[in-house]
Amino acid sequence: MGGKKRKHPDVEELLNRPWCYYCERDFEDLKLLISHQKAKHFKCDRCGRRLNTAGGLSVHMNQVHKESLSSVENALPNRQGLDVEIFGMEGIPEDIVQQHNQRIIQNFYQAQAERYAATGNPPPGQSDKRPAKKIKAETPDEIKKRLAEHRARLAGQKNAGGGNATHTPPQGLPDGHSPGQSASPGAFNSPFHPPGAQYSGYPNQPQYPHAYPPSNLPSRPGSNVPVASGLPPRPGQPGWAANASTAEELGPGAAPQQGDDIDQLIRMAEAGIRPPKKSEAHTATEEASPEKKSKKEKDKNVQMIYEDELSPEERMAMMPRYAFAPEAAAA
Amino acid sequence: MAPSAQFELAQPPNDAISAIVFAPESSSRLLVSSWDKNVYLYDTQTTGQDENQQGSLIRTIEHRAPVLDVCFGANDDEAFSAGIDWQVLKIDLASGEQTVLSKHAAPVRRVIYSREHSLVVSASWDSTLHVHNPTDTTQAPLEIPLPGKPHAMAASPSKLIVAMTSRLVHIYDLSALASGLASQTVPSPWQQRESSLKFLTRAVAAMPSDAGYATSSIEGRVAVEFFDASAESQARKYAFKCHRQNQPSPDGAPTDVVYPVNALAFHPAYGTFASGGGDATVALWDADAKRRMKVYQKFPDSVAALAFSADGRYLAVAVCPGFETGMEDYSGEGRTKILLRVLGENEALPKGKAK
Repeated sequence: MGGKKRKHPDVEELLNRPWCYYCERDFEDLKLLISHQKAKHFKCDRCGRRLNTAGGLSVHMNQVHKESLSSVENALPNRQGLDVEIFGMEGIPEDIVQQHNQRIIQNFYQAQAERYAATGNPPPGQSDKRPAKKIKAETPDEIKKRLAEHRARLAGQKNAGGGNATHTPPQGLPDGHSPGQSASPGAFNSPFHPPGAQYSGYPNQPQYPHAYPPSNLPSRPGSNVPVASGLPPRPGQPGWAANASTAEELGPGAAPQQGDDIDQLIRMAEAGIRPPKKSEAHTATEEASPEKKSKKEKDKNVQMIYEDELSPEERMAMMPRYAFAPEAAAA
Repeated sequence: MAPSAQFELAQPPNDAISAIVFAPESSSRLLVSSWDKNVYLYDTQTTGQDENQQGSLIRTIEHRAPVLDVCFGANDDEAFSAGIDWQVLKIDLASGEQTVLSKHAAPVRRVIYSREHSLVVSASWDSTLHVHNPTDTTQAPLEIPLPGKPHAMAASPSKLIVAMTSRLVHIYDLSALASGLASQTVPSPWQQRESSLKFLTRAVAAMPSDAGYATSSIEGRVAVEFFDASAESQARKYAFKCHRQNQPSPDGAPTDVVYPVNALAFHPAYGTFASGGGDATVALWDADAKRRMKVYQKFPDSVAALAFSADGRYLAVAVCPGFETGMEDYSGEGRTKILLRVLGENEALPKGKAK
């Protein structure tokens, strides 16, 4: 359209967009809205004629096809009525307009918050209020020391019981895991995305262009990671019970979240999407993104009306009401 | 009064509907099988007493147990039914006379008649297919073992598609079945496939053009596939989500409520098909253009079965409560309806081909 090409329009722009009363869709300009209404809501399903209003369609149906129109097609459930005469933006009841604006505003701020969360940028004007993330620099020696500690712990764990250490994200150990090594297939029960594909969005990581150096990390509580929520407990692993208690100490709010972080780390490591080193940088910025992540998970909320290995008919056939006894019939 | 675009059939079955089918010749004859142990034959054209209802019940054929499927035979007076009583019946609709074609070892889920090959095929939960010669009821049926329980079956002019548990799909060549029946040898499937859908198959419908078929699952998805095994034909297959509703849950997270797609039916001529789901909606799809053409207004209850009439002018929609996971007791009583939609001239026609 030329002019200013800002990526994200501001609230006023959004509020000024013409929108359709029947389906709440918004449009670039009024012309488009009107042609949308004619095509989607005021089109005669008998002859395809496009009328200007629902009333017009009703009269047309009556006169031409001798039928009566009971509701507007493709409309939202509570907007199917013929009682309101809508043409473009005209005729929309005031309370509906208010509702719509509310929704737009709400969506806008939500989207904005998500964007900030995703990019890690502070909202404009607020940059000062938040203390900049002062990173305590770790000297190479310190890093080496931590690495040595970590290795020792790892070795200790192995000796202790040959426990399955696969769940431990390779922290600073680039050779720790080969990509694609999937440890716990049961943990990701989304039937549609194999673990590798699940976070396919991560390779380019547009959100974190300036990867924090690994030294940013507030030193993690070692690698004895709390059992990730959603992962089955691994009783065979030494120290898992202890981990659980750690999780408890962190408080009910903290524990699952941390579990999620680790969950994600593992998934990424398994998918071999990012070199493990980078995953540290990810943790550093994690505090900015949990909101976004949880959103992502919520989007996956799926409730199936029927979910069974047996077909509904088989279930019904088992009910006494429909039962049939072949013996009785044969007799 | 001129008929409105949609009307309700008078005297519907008393319980849930398992199948609905139009007669091959007249588009006013409709057969319905029900869980109330009856098969119903309707004339859809007689005007009813009620303003909103139309059609009349010509005959009910009582069975010993709930009827799971019904289909017409060679003409409008011949029908075949399959039921929980393990039997496949041939029914003379003019006299009401019933002949047992064969007995399975478990309830019979589907029965189908192939006009082109004059064959009746039944699929039972005893994991077998029975192939019958409908003209000679004394001839023993040919029994074909299946690797899983069949749930859905459809016949195109030359092929038979059987969808089973564990996402198994077998496609049989009907002429091979016919010769197998004559020689009493069990033919092997023409093709064995795995369903493109990850969940239990709910319905199968074959393209009248003999090019392929559509399947649907309990998890709100429909797949369209083609018989031709060549790479380019197989590349044309696709699947899509449908019959879902996004519901805001109390904690603010939207939940995608996924309904089973209970019924599929191809239009006899246009290459379009209808799907009916547990969300009480029916949608029309253009299989070639991969487009949704239309979604009808919500029906009063879950859509159990669909059928296009032979001339493609009517779409029959069987509506009854849907069976949901964990339901202990179920009854379709009082909520079972048959709605007939009179299709407009271009209603089921793919876009761009409108006259």
